[in-house]
Amino acid sequence: MLRYLTSRIVATFVMALLATLIVFLIVSLVPGDPVLSQLGDMAASNPEIVKAYRAKWGLDLPLYEQYWIFLTRLLNGDLGISITSQRPVMADIAQYAPATIELGTIAFILSVVIGVPFGIAAAVARDSWIDHSARFISLIGVSSPVFWLAFIMLTVFYGWLQIAPGPGRLDPIDLPPPRVTGAFLIDSALASRWDLLHTAVAHLVLPSIVLCAATLGLITRTTRASMLDTLGQDYVRVARAKGLRERAVIVAHALPNALIPVVTLGGLAYANLLTGTVMTETIFSWPGLGLYTFRSALALDIPAIMGMTLVFAFVYLLINLLVDLSYAVLDPRVLKR
Amino acid sequence: MNHVRILPVTRRDVMRLLGIGGGAAIGASLPGFEALAQSRKETLVIGMDIRDTNNLDPARDLHYTPPMTIHACYDTLLTMTPGDYINLKPALATKWARTPDGKGWRFTLRDNVKFVTGNTMTAQDVKYSLDRVNYIGYQASQYLTNVTEVKVIDDKTIDVMLKNPAEPILTILAAPSFSITDSKLVAANGGDATTDSKTKDKATEWLNQTSVGTGPYKLAEWQRGSQIQLVANPSYWGGKPPYQRVVVRHFEDAAAQLLSLRRGDIDCAFNLLPEQIATLKGEKDIGVEGHASLDFIYIALSHNPEFNKALAVKEARQAIAHAIDYDGIIKNLIGGAGTRPVSFIPTGLLGSTEKLTQEIGFREDIPRAKQLLQKAGFPDGFEFEIIYGNGAIAGTTYHVLGQKLQSDLARVGIKLKLGPMPQVNLRTLYNGGKMSATLVYWNPPAVENALWSWATVQRVAKRLHWTPPADLVKLVDAAAVETDQKKAEQLYIEYQKQMVDVANLIVLFQPIYQVGVRRSIKDFPLTAAGWQLDVGGVKPS
Repeated sequence: MLRYLTSRIVATFVMALLATLIVFLIVSLVPGDPVLSQLGDMAASNPEIVKAYRAKWGLDLPLYEQYWIFLTRLLNGDLGISITSQRPVMADIAQYAPATIELGTIAFILSVVIGVPFGIAAAVARDSWIDHSARFISLIGVSSPVFWLAFIMLTVFYGWLQIAPGPGRLDPIDLPPPRVTGAFLIDSALASRWDLLHTAVAHLVLPSIVLCAATLGLITRTTRASMLDTLGQDYVRVARAKGLRERAVIVAHALPNALIPVVTLGGLAYANLLTGTVMTETIFSWPGLGLYTFRSALALDIPAIMGMTLVFAFVYLLINLLVDLSYAVLDPRVLKR
Repeated sequence: MNHVRILPVTRRDVMRLLGIGGGAAIGASLPGFEALAQSRKETLVIGMDIRDTNNLDPARDLHYTPPMTIHACYDTLLTMTPGDYINLKPALATKWARTPDGKGWRFTLRDNVKFVTGNTMTAQDVKYSLDRVNYIGYQASQYLTNVTEVKVIDDKTIDVMLKNPAEPILTILAAPSFSITDSKLVAANGGDATTDSKTKDKATEWLNQTSVGTGPYKLAEWQRGSQIQLVANPSYWGGKPPYQRVVVRHFEDAAAQLLSLRRGDIDCAFNLLPEQIATLKGEKDIGVEGHASLDFIYIALSHNPEFNKALAVKEARQAIAHAIDYDGIIKNLIGGAGTRPVSFIPTGLLGSTEKLTQEIGFREDIPRAKQLLQKAGFPDGFEFEIIYGNGAIAGTTYHVLGQKLQSDLARVGIKLKLGPMPQVNLRTLYNGGKMSATLVYWNPPAVENALWSWATVQRVAKRLHWTPPADLVKLVDAAAVETDQKKAEQLYIEYQKQMVDVANLIVLFQPIYQVGVRRSIKDFPLTAAGWQLDVGGVKPS
């Protein structure tokens, strides 16, 4: 087990580095000059300023040297300075990550808490109204474009019914709670600011519903399919033949086996929720990593792009690792293999 | 399908979730809500896309939205009244005149002006602030290249000495970049205004979280990517500011901004699209305020025959200029919210009016365009590529403009190839002079005619591989140093005539920005001078 873990962790680091190398090469191939997006028209026409600026960001060095600098800095835990925000990429990530993690996690919890029971119920009561509605809802969830759904939700619940608050993490007149984690739910609770906690929760409702829609659909469908498959297995028939109660058959015998594909999918879906929030963040003016990455890419902000590549690579690799480890819990045979 | 009863389930789910979500409604019964409602009345909330705000240090300001905030927190020596971009108005300086030797300008400072920090503003602060901008070497320092020295004469008097005393400087000093900061506090927090400030100055990160100016408001907090919070400066020399707090709320999306304006969560919305503005007509609580900007969208055509043989010929460029349906662009693509200058000097400035455009500017004239093509030696037209950024502009997109131009030019047989690309790639190609034609945007860093006209014969000319005739360069220089307003106006009109003849820069329109404003606001002084809104002058009804 330990050997397996070590090799997986080493592989994780190597893969993350490879990802940065590939992204670095791609970004460097783009013909744009990142300096120009950060200089005014007059300064950009002054060769001296442009030269000094390129030197400041190390853009005048040969490619391999730029990458080498990136690697040595990385060893010291330094991701360099973002060209756009002109401050450490680490500071930017620390600034924007909590908003995304908070939103992505809530959306993930929502999709699991609703999706898994729904999927099980649909499979157990196959072809009943629960089953049909589960399939209908997951179809809608998977096929609605996020930007459309986000806007419809905002128009209906914020604009017409006026029961949900508008875009942003808090109301415009609120000052955020003292920063501890950056996640407003936690920080406002720590500061005993229940009014802020209330506002922060309210502001999370619409974006997390929008964000979880597609994932919810996927999880429901997968749970249903996997459960149906498991329920048809011999050991389930044996369990029933032994005279076990239906509840015990489903919860103790079928469910753990049925959950394995759901866990795999859930892990990937979580990683996807953490890294793929651009549209939701755009419409809800959510100051998170998705928008940060998107803008860094548009501005060819190489240090920021590299930093985000690392973060995203780690998120995926780490979650995959956790998924693999969780198999061992769900299915002890995995360890023996 | 009648057994697909999805609604009972989802409604329960959704309502349960929204039970938490109904924060606004439940909030009304919570203790403390009254105080909150009170503070909402005393708070001005500005809805605006501020994604380009990446710092709030006046010396490093270069993007589009920061000047509004900077102008709310700081004052400059001189300023401009919204709507009048020709005559200057006193701000921190009450009087200005030539220095006795005639080589610079002498400013007399206003008495008893206190910084929000409590310190009194002196000539030393002015010197420190201008020196810091100059030596930090950012965009704004480019406008001070004519300044040789900023000299403190006494506490209330300061001289700005110039290399070429005739060249304009007063209008430039009205830009928010040249804001006066409390030198003691900036220096104490990492500021540097010596010739080494390029490397030594470390005050920006501090100035991003607080402000040390003399303006009506003070920066309380900037939450990156979400909002900027300002509080009233009780010791403001211009009287008590009308609001206790100002919040500049970031919106990434225009539709969400409109919803928030309608709900009253924001008091004004700056980034509405023309079709959204149209839906506001007849609304009881919301009005629309428009202000002509000094920005414009233009086509630049390269003279380099290696890129395109036809474009190198003057008559061919003129043919393009005569084949464009300017009125159609303004009327149909930007909802009529625009005007058009003759050439590279926006209307509203000295020597540029819409009337003049009717008289001497480009006009749509298809027969004339065809004649010009004959004359140019391309009777059957020609083909060229135009590059532009992937992005929205003034309520439309460059791509839509490109398609409109494509169909306009096709009428005279000119085939336009469209080349959309990321903005940064576009700038790389345009700055390097590596394109046959481009469709881009120009916005002023400071309101001074010469900054536009110089650009056309200097750096823009270079990008277009164009050597402007010596007479034209002389004309531009003469106009810049002419102190008699009437004469200067004539010189600028002559300059524009010549630019029309060269036809390498074709301005399509100068947008009139439309801002949705709730009627809870009485005064809303929008300005084209570079900071969009005089935040200090916004008053509730």
